Order: sequence, then C-alpha cells, then structure tokens
Amino acid sequence: MRYCEACHISIEGSIEYCPLCQSRLSGEPEEDSYPILLPGRKPYRLVVRILAMITIIAAVVCAVVNLSLPQDGWWSLFVMAGLASAWLSLGMTIRRRRNPMKAALWHLGLVSVLLLLWDWFTGRRGWSIHFVLPVFYSCMQFAVAIAAWVLRLRPSDYMLYLLLCVLAGFLPLILLFCGLLQIMYPSAVCGGISVIFLAALLLFRGSALKNELARRLHL
Amino acid sequence: MKSKGSQRWWKLDNAAKIFPSSTSRHNSKVFRFVCELQENVDPQILQAALDQTVERFPIYRSVMKRGLFWYYLEDSTLRARVRSEDLPPCFPIYPSIRRGLLFRVLYYKKRIILEVYHALTDGAGALQFLRTLVCAYLLARFPDAFVPPYPTVLPDASEWQKQADSFQKYYEKPAGRRLYLPGNAYRMRGSRLPKNHLAVLEGQIPLAKALCCARERGITLTELMTAVLIRAIHERMSLRDMKKPVVISIPVNLRSYFPSKSARNFFATIQVSYDFSRQEDSLDAVAAHVRETFQSNLTKEYLRARINTLCALEHSIPLRLVPLPVKDIVLRIANLLAMRGVTSSFSNVGKVSMPPPMERMIRRFSVLTCAGVLQACACSYGESYVVSFAGPFREHEVERTFFRELAGLGLEIVLTTNFPSEGEVN
Repeated sequence: MRYCEACHISIEGSIEYCPLCQSRLSGEPEEDSYPILLPGRKPYRLVVRILAMITIIAAVVCAVVNLSLPQDGWWSLFVMAGLASAWLSLGMTIRRRRNPMKAALWHLGLVSVLLLLWDWFTGRRGWSIHFVLPVFYSCMQFAVAIAAWVLRLRPSDYMLYLLLCVLAGFLPLILLFCGLLQIMYPSAVCGGISVIFLAALLLFRGSALKNELARRLHL
Repeated sequence: MKSKGSQRWWKLDNAAKIFPSSTSRHNSKVFRFVCELQENVDPQILQAALDQTVERFPIYRSVMKRGLFWYYLEDSTLRARVRSEDLPPCFPIYPSIRRGLLFRVLYYKKRIILEVYHALTDGAGALQFLRTLVCAYLLARFPDAFVPPYPTVLPDASEWQKQADSFQKYYEKPAGRRLYLPGNAYRMRGSRLPKNHLAVLEGQIPLAKALCCARERGITLTELMTAVLIRAIHERMSLRDMKKPVVISIPVNLRSYFPSKSARNFFATIQVSYDFSRQEDSLDAVAAHVRETFQSNLTKEYLRARINTLCALEHSIPLRLVPLPVKDIVLRIANLLAMRGVTSSFSNVGKVSMPPPMERMIRRFSVLTCAGVLQACACSYGESYVVSFAGPFREHEVERTFFRELAGLGLEIVLTTNFPSEGEVN
C-alpha cells in the first residue's frame, strides 16, 4: 500500500504519484487493480484510407485530362459520379457489415435512387424504370430469400427485410397501372414474382410475419 | 424457444425508452459493478456460473432492436462469454456494429466485473444479477466450503415479476400536464480524456466511522456524501460560475417505496440544488439543505408524482405515433436540455449483502457509471463503504477536494485508480 503525505490517503496499486495532488508517494507498490489497456487497432481503416486516396487521385487525373482535352465533352463528371456511387455502396456495406439483410435492404434503396439519377442525367431514356429496376427488384427478392435460408436466419432476423423487398417489387406494377410504362413485360414479371412471394410468406410464414409486425409496429 | 414463430420480446420500460436515443460516444449509459474476491478469478468456473445465472434472468439474453415507433428487446440465442478485462471501464455496449447482448462480464485478477447497458436494467436489478453470479461462482469454486442447504441470493420472485415493468403498475394519469424546462445548472468543464476513456477513482472508507461522522451531524451517510460532493464542486467554481446553482441528481430505487420485484429499470431521480451565491458554503449549512431536500422529496407522494410525470410522455398518443428516427432526434435534444439542468449525480446503491458463509471470500463491491460528466456512485459491503468517481476529464480537482475533506473528517481512505502508473493516457 502506498501513502500520500499531503492528502493523508492510502493508495492501492503501483502508481508513483498521487492521483489527486501528483506528489510522490511513499510505501511499497502493489499489483494494480486495473489492466493497462493499449489502444485497439482498426485493421481495415488503413485499407479504406488508401482506397480513398486512390479514388481521389483517379478523379483528379480524369478532371485534369478532361480539362486539357476539352473537345471530348464533360466525360470526367461521369467518372466522378461513378466513383461516388461506388463509394456510397461500399460505405453502406461497411456500416451494415454485421447484418447482411439490412445491408441488402439499404442497397435496394440506394441502387434504385442511383439508377434513377443516372437515367435522368444521361438522356432520360427511361431504361431504369422499364428494365433495370424490375429485374433488380426480382433478383433482390430471390437473393434475400436464399440468403435467409442459407444463413439459417431466424424469422425475426429476415422477415421484415424480405417483406420490404417483396413490397418493393410491387412498385413497377404500380407504375404499370398508372400507364407510365411503354414496355410492360419486365414490370409484369416482377409484379408476378412479388405476388407469389407475398402469397408464400403469408401461407407458410404467416404467424411469424404477424409476430414480427406486432413487434416492429408496437406503439 | 417455444417455436420459430413466437420469439419472445419485451417493450422497453419507461426509463429505458430514452436511453437508446440519448446514448452517445461520451455518454455510454453503461454502468459497472465490481466484486473483488480474496483470490484470483477462475474464468472457466465464472463462465459456467454465468451460464447458470443467465438461465435465471432470461431478459439478459435479449438484444436491442428498432421498431417503427419504439426500440424493443428481443430474445436471442447468443451466449454470454466472460472475457478478461480488455476495454476501458463502461465502454459503449449499444449501439454497436455487431448486434450483441446488452451486458458483459469481465474478470481481472481478483475482480469480477459486470457491465450493463442502462436500457436493460438499473443498479438494483444488475446487483441482483451480479449477486446471483458471484454466489454461483463461489459455490462452484469452493464446493467443500458449503454444506446444504446451499446459500442462495435468488429473490423470491416469479419470472413474470422479474420481467415486469413496474412503472406501468404505479402509473396513473396525472390531472394536468406539467412540462417544465430545468434551469441552467453549473456545468463542469475540462479537457477530456481521449476516446471513450473514463478516469476512475474508488475510495474505500470504513463504514462504521463514516456512519458515525454522519450521525454526529444528525444526517444520513448519503446526505453527508452529497453535501461533501456539492462543496467539492464549489471549490473549482469561479465567482462567475456561482451565479448558477450546483444541482446534484440522485437516483432513487423505487423498489424501496413501491413493492416491486422487477429486475428491470425502476428508479426515479430527485435533485438537490444549492446556490452558492445566496447560501453559505460551510459543510453544516450545505448538509442541512441537503437533508431538507431529501426529506421533502423522498416521500411516496412526491415519488408517485415523479413516476406520473415520467410516464405521461410515454402515454401521450401524438408522441407515440412519431416514427422512431424522429423520436431519436427529439429525445436526444430533450436529454441534452435535461442535462443542462444537472451538474453531477450521486447514486448510492446501498448495502450489498451476501449469504454469511460467503462473506469472508469477498473483499468488497464497488459500482460506477458513465454519463458524460463526472459522477459519483457508492455502495457498502461488510465494513467498507466505497465511493467511486468516474469522469471523462483529465483533472481531478473535485475528487481531490472530496477525498481530502473526508480525510479531514478523520476517515481513513484507500484509493484505487485506473490511471496508468507511468505517464499519461494518450
């Protein structure tokens, strides 16, 4: 036990100076009651930083080349938008890395928005709502259902995410019925798949679905 | 697990509802109980004891999930693992990237450490868990030391009683809505320790002598400690600071006033406010004021009114209908506003008891909490009364004045700290 003459207080451990008044302690040191903790390392941080640096260099090089050769149009903006999209997706994956279902759902939203934006800014030809989104939504339903099955997730860990993916599959159908689409079959197929998935959920996982909704929606 | 479809889940209790929204990096809302034994802890036996204990407290197996309107607890299949202490005290538990249990059990040399996220339970509830754990550990560690009937600390409570939200039981709709904003209290500032580090100072005081000191003045031990704390904070205030009062928030275990065997949150806080610009700064004057506040606030009527105010928000329909992401922001701001009205807090967990045959195997219990500012906690076990300070600051002026004043009252103090023995934490 050590002792501080100034504070008249005994101190346990091997500390050299009084924690209160910083004067030198007398007496014999003992073993500490707390471990000495070294700052933890975050192994991926450096990798992410290097990737970010490479991205910035690539974007700057493209911009500089683009400005030096103005006859090609503003193609470097597409490169930058592409890199930004990739980073958004990567960031979301890293943030949600422990919960693949949630990551999938966030991607569903993010990719939809990005596709719409790309379509809009590259001539508004409507390829996103006619083809890509219906195909994407159909695939997502299968992907989430298969992942839940392979990972042997419990209903509470996948039910809500699967349900939301299935409901997203109805969006192309809504556009179809509103008469906004000229090409119908991709959206019709996507809607059909969603109806089948929803029916399967209700028939085979009905009570789990009900329980999950009761939990998630309790007031 | 009964069947795949009917997984168990629990709504958060009234006090817990605000915690997930108001948790931040500096304010992890995690508190720690430490049981120091006479000899080193055996991790394997501790793991077996932990498995047994979790069986008795099913809610400790739950994880936090987000609903559309509220957070909730859901039963999980995760197994709690004991770990050697490898994190700073009260390291954040929720939110974390990996969805995990809301408590952790650590060990270091002679210490068994239980850290709990406040949304799961309060001090009294966690203490119930720790006592059960230590009891199971000691029974397994020294099988020959005990004879049947084996000692037990399990409360005489059914599973339902342990999981009950007692706030709901004692809530009655208040006649008028009273929403008030707290006045600004003096706030301690200082340079913070890096990351989520928490500086801990535990002072062990002989209980009998401390009780004598308090009784000489005709007050209780908690009142004495609160008064000394208020005076210690006063020491570091400038004249300008003294325009604002020192407000100490004191959590009260409502189980002592309203019958409840809940192993979840059931506490309310009372506040002692002391204005040094108007009131005297002698220990006797502060102690008298603290006593007065305690006596007027620690009554069933006052606490019932507190419960009603606390629960009224949760029962208001418009607020309930607000989606969780918005609620998060609203509750975070409300919490920040409430924090402006509080300088520090002092929570006395009270006397920890263990079955008599085990008493000589345990050296002491201590408790501490992380709430973003300097906080004091206390508990007593056997002949020792341990006051622990935990704070995010590099300076320890309040602690110095506090313990020196106690030493001046003739108490022998033994300090333990987590400060490194050489150099600074950086």
